[in-house]
Amino acid sequence: MRIYAISVYLFLYIPIGVIALFSFNAGRHASQLQGLSTKWYGKALSNPFVMDALETSLIVAFTSALLASVFGTMAAVALQGIKGPVRVFFDLLIYVAVMIPGIVIGIATLIGLVTLFDQLNPLLAAVWPEGWTPPKLRMGVGSLIAAHTMFLMALVIIIVRARLSGMDRALIEASADLYASPVGTFFQVTLPMIFPAILAGFLLSFTFSFDDFIIAFFVAGSETTLPIYVFSSIRRGVTPEINAIGTMVLAVSLVLLVTAQLLLQRGGKKPK
Amino acid sequence: MESVQYATKTDLVSGNAIAELRGVTKRYGSVLAASDLDLAIEPGEFLSFLGPSGCGKTTALRMLAGFETPTEGQVLLDGEVVNDVDAHHRPVNMVFQQYALFPHMTVAQNIGYGLRQIRPRIPKEQINERVGKALATVRLAGFEDRRIWEMSGGQQQRVALARAIVNEPKLLLLDEPMAALDRKLRKEMQIELQDLQRELGITFVLVTHDQEEALSMSDRICIMRDGRIVQIGSPQELYDTPKSRYVADFVGTSNFFDGKVVGYQGDLVSVRLSDGTVVEARSLHQVADGQDACVSVRPEQMRLSREEGGLPVHVHNRIFLGEHTEYLVTHAILGEFLVLSPRQTEMNDGPFNAGESLTVSWDAGTALVLEQE
Repeated sequence: MRIYAISVYLFLYIPIGVIALFSFNAGRHASQLQGLSTKWYGKALSNPFVMDALETSLIVAFTSALLASVFGTMAAVALQGIKGPVRVFFDLLIYVAVMIPGIVIGIATLIGLVTLFDQLNPLLAAVWPEGWTPPKLRMGVGSLIAAHTMFLMALVIIIVRARLSGMDRALIEASADLYASPVGTFFQVTLPMIFPAILAGFLLSFTFSFDDFIIAFFVAGSETTLPIYVFSSIRRGVTPEINAIGTMVLAVSLVLLVTAQLLLQRGGKKPK
Repeated sequence: MESVQYATKTDLVSGNAIAELRGVTKRYGSVLAASDLDLAIEPGEFLSFLGPSGCGKTTALRMLAGFETPTEGQVLLDGEVVNDVDAHHRPVNMVFQQYALFPHMTVAQNIGYGLRQIRPRIPKEQINERVGKALATVRLAGFEDRRIWEMSGGQQQRVALARAIVNEPKLLLLDEPMAALDRKLRKEMQIELQDLQRELGITFVLVTHDQEEALSMSDRICIMRDGRIVQIGSPQELYDTPKSRYVADFVGTSNFFDGKVVGYQGDLVSVRLSDGTVVEARSLHQVADGQDACVSVRPEQMRLSREEGGLPVHVHNRIFLGEHTEYLVTHAILGEFLVLSPRQTEMNDGPFNAGESLTVSWDAGTALVLEQE
């Protein structure tokens, strides 16, 4: 039994380990280790295409994680007050949004947005004042952020709601009993208590968005995110530079995920 | 609409009650949580709602606090109808069952919470001063900067108390505040709570299922059952003149004998018990010949004797309690009942042994005929 478990873990983690190892390769082939060096990291970080893609990825990840955290928290708090079939319906939709494969979200968002833009662009052109160039809606950073926010919001809702339902109802009542208005109660009691969960939701969302390839591939338009850059580079042959980028993304993702997990554990602990 | 306003005006003139329930009913769907409650709470009194879980006592308290709105009837605070006033606008504070202290705040921040909500703002120094005073009142001076989880259960309860009294509420509501404390601490807190109430002069309303707690602390007890008020009175009134078997059973212990009324003279009623014995008992209400009746006799009113005259019983069990000795005795037809024998009787007659045949008697004036339910 133990040997199987070890094999499974080896199967899962050896390729990742190999990628990390080869990123320190001194030679120029991704399959042949010729001494250790960090030169590929320097090369990756001085590559303007990589840096452009990284900037796009960071902007998209930060903005969509922020929007998802704000709207997700609002939705979670609102859903807390709803009971019965409406609640069941919303819960179902939220879980569907998390479970649904990225490729479906990607295609659906692409078709939806393209159709919408096709309808809106002529309209905008028609109502725009004479002499000014009408704006043209197209796929890009905006559509990327929108698509990511949509599915990350469901993730934040689930995380925040778990924390909210673990919260003692009496605390809200105690706050009302001590003359705090509902808004005052939210900012002085509810928000501080669920904040670790919101932060964890933000970090997870950031990681998911930063690492996402499938949805981004469909809705990025002419923009290039880091995963898309890596994908297109591979077609020109795998160099240790790709390994270096992959290892850096992995390191950042792991740090964020561990932080999120710690936040959730610490925030969920009941003071005794 | 007009009649409601009219009622409010008359209250301001006539009522001196600090809080009042008038025909208050609360339904959750088809479940009746409180039914037609009528109660006036006097300023400065210590009133307890006593009853088993699900009797509506907590619902009554929550309606006073403003967490629940009555389905019918009126809740009044200081002579004004407050049915539509939200909890955060009511000059009432509550000590919650599990204290509900804010875990992300220090002790001082918890206690100052209510004061910080008041507009126009109270100056910071003034808040700190009042928090310090409240902490001293509950004997926790110097604990300002502690975290909630660093405090023991008893200390947390004092913080919860301080957080409520610092606001000088018109009414302090306590929802089973001792339930989470161990027995020894509970006794201590009971005394402290009583002292505090006298010292501050704030009206206390306590909810409890513990009759000992209610009896030892309250000026008046409101006994509830199935959403209704069964009887309201001082602990002594409830003990000496319970109206029903339910109250007699809930407040202290008592022995009950079922029988039929066979005659009465003034308030003294003759009741034939199921074994044929006719006993006399006082009645606080009208009875008719042939009516079913329940006679209640407190264990300490019963006398055990080796002489004839009385119900023949034999001793089943004997428990020495120091000042009293508790006997469980058995009657052939009437079954088992409890007798408390004072030390004096034990000294004179010597201890009665298990299995010994004795007689039990009591003075007619100490037995009560109760309303059948």
